[in-house]
Amino acid sequence: MQPIVLGIETSCDETAIGIVRGRTLLANVIASSVDEHARFGGVVPEIASRAHLEAMLPSIERALKDSKIALADIDAVAVTAGPGLIGALLVGVASASGLAQGLGRPLYGVNHLAAHVSVDYLTHDRPTDPTIALLVSGGHSSLLQVDDITRSITKLGATMDDAAGEAFDKIARILDLGFPGGPAIDREAVHGSASAIDFPRGLTTSN
Amino acid sequence: SNDYSSRRPLARFEAMTPTLAIDTSTSRTIVGIIDGDNVLFDTFHEGATDHGRAISQLVAQALKVSAPPQQVVVGMGPGPFTGLRVGISFAHTFGLARNIPVIGVCSLDAIDINQSEYTVAIDARRKEIYWARYKDGVRIEGPAVSKPVEVEGFIIDQYPDMKKLVALSHLQNVTEPMYLRRPDAVPTAERA
Ligand SMILES: [Zn+2]
Repeated sequence: MQPIVLGIETSCDETAIGIVRGRTLLANVIASSVDEHARFGGVVPEIASRAHLEAMLPSIERALKDSKIALADIDAVAVTAGPGLIGALLVGVASASGLAQGLGRPLYGVNHLAAHVSVDYLTHDRPTDPTIALLVSGGHSSLLQVDDITRSITKLGATMDDAAGEAFDKIARILDLGFPGGPAIDREAVHGSASAIDFPRGLTTSN
Repeated sequence: SNDYSSRRPLARFEAMTPTLAIDTSTSRTIVGIIDGDNVLFDTFHEGATDHGRAISQLVAQALKVSAPPQQVVVGMGPGPFTGLRVGISFAHTFGLARNIPVIGVCSLDAIDINQSEYTVAIDARRKEIYWARYKDGVRIEGPAVSKPVEVEGFIIDQYPDMKKLVALSHLQNVTEPMYLRRPDAVPTAERA
């Protein structure tokens, strides 16, 4: 039987609980405080942290219900240990720690960049390692060398200013395509011409 | 009036059962195991940014000294937010995992001062204090957050007592963290 792992993620404004058996996703519950931040024009860490604490127990209970898994059947607890907002991360880590200790199960702190990459393992067969992974999300854009997803990941490079996800959102805002920008631009790009604009390429002369 | 505490019937408290007591409302992470009148374990770690690391280690030590705890009592503040939430978060999920009750108590109420009338305070940062006033064992004012000059004759640098914290769980169950400040009052400089 493959191990059942409950994961907790609170690095930004979403409280997320996942349950997997091996590489099969059994539950994926997300509570977002995004509406509470809107009037501040960005994520307010203290608002996010308060929302995580409020959402934690209901989200865990929801995930257990969705997956039809009893707490006693959880083999391990995993949690985002970083990077992210300190106060928000701490709610997740303390919650995961209380859960693991209460259940008498091991706790695994996870760098959530590795977690982003490993999402691919849920839908595809394990890629042949080493693999080069391009991580593009709302918050980060990095090129990673993955020798072993759980043991050895080397950062090869990253953008110097905005993450690609942020660039997508900004462009989508300028073009009035809505939020989030990635899928919207993707849809429009199908009908576009790759040679319509001669985009400059950054840093081609630097080492 | 006091929005935070609500009366709870005594019948729900099971006497003489090991209780895990946790408070992270001050610079200390405090953990105890209390069984009726007996303090089976009581320790703390000093460090205003260490709560996250300290809590699991101290609880691991505590669990070695007694039979499994039958309930959790946790200090709900007031106190600096980030540390405060560590204790509450941990207590909540520990209680869920063990399927045992989690009871919240006002942390200031658990500071044990042997006087008939007194005011206790703890550091609220930003040049303010969290405080409450007591007479004959009853809170008569607060908890509130104020500038020190606005509060008369307070006792500071005392810490919640785990035996008193558990005793208070007969009388109150505070379900929301006692933040006392709005979240958007946090200045940009304090953001992570
Ligand atoms: Zn991310």
